[in-house]
Amino acid sequence: MSVKPFDNLKNNKYYKMWFKDAFPYITGAVLLSVFQIFTLASTGNPWGVSGPLANWGAWIYEAFGGSVDKWYYFSSEGARATLENGFLNDGGSIRNIGIIAGALLATLMASQFKIKKIKNKKQVAAAILGGLLMGYGARIGFGCNIGALYSGIASFSLSGWVYAAFLFIGAYFGSRLLVKFFM
Amino acid sequence: MKEVILDCFGEACPVPLVKAEKAISTLEIGDVLIVQIDHSCAMKNVPEWARAQGYNVEIEEVNDGEWEVFIEKNK
Repeated sequence: MSVKPFDNLKNNKYYKMWFKDAFPYITGAVLLSVFQIFTLASTGNPWGVSGPLANWGAWIYEAFGGSVDKWYYFSSEGARATLENGFLNDGGSIRNIGIIAGALLATLMASQFKIKKIKNKKQVAAAILGGLLMGYGARIGFGCNIGALYSGIASFSLSGWVYAAFLFIGAYFGSRLLVKFFM
Repeated sequence: MKEVILDCFGEACPVPLVKAEKAISTLEIGDVLIVQIDHSCAMKNVPEWARAQGYNVEIEEVNDGEWEVFIEKNK
């Protein structure tokens, strides 16, 4: 069941360069910078990822009958308006969907899509614990490594550099824990 | 001259790299370590580390999103 056109495509120089092989770090950095400048110019806000995720949480909570009206985090007028306007009117949410869809498209184009197996219960525990810590930290720190670090530094904000310093400290202890519990 | 297979399918970065570092230290010169990975970032950092150590490295895509990195401990 060999399909000839695709066999040829697999070895095509440009297919390999554009879709199969990872871009060099420099190319990725330049593209990210161009797109984040575009984001800032067109929306008036720097690029962020985890902020909209908190809104997703609020919408899911509300869908199950909960209410975040009294939560301090959502008490500002801006946050309230975003929640009321809904998912489709939240640019950050649409952009996050774009990231997920784009990442999926990229793996499919490279023919590298795979549903990975969960190897052991430790992975599940680590994923849940890690996700909770990252989500909590990103909100309490007013941003993740995109909103607080990347956009922070790009806006000439000192806080971005402070974030970077502590990121390294966190990564150091994180990898020590990783080696201790996963090796 | 033996071949050792290191199954890192389903392991996220940097676990395959740390496991490969550990495994290669137990091998003797001339042995080959085959690291099986399905995490595309390990496909970058495992060969990068091995080449920086001066080992011979070859990567084979064995299936969609699955690779085998052959590392020959040549020194």
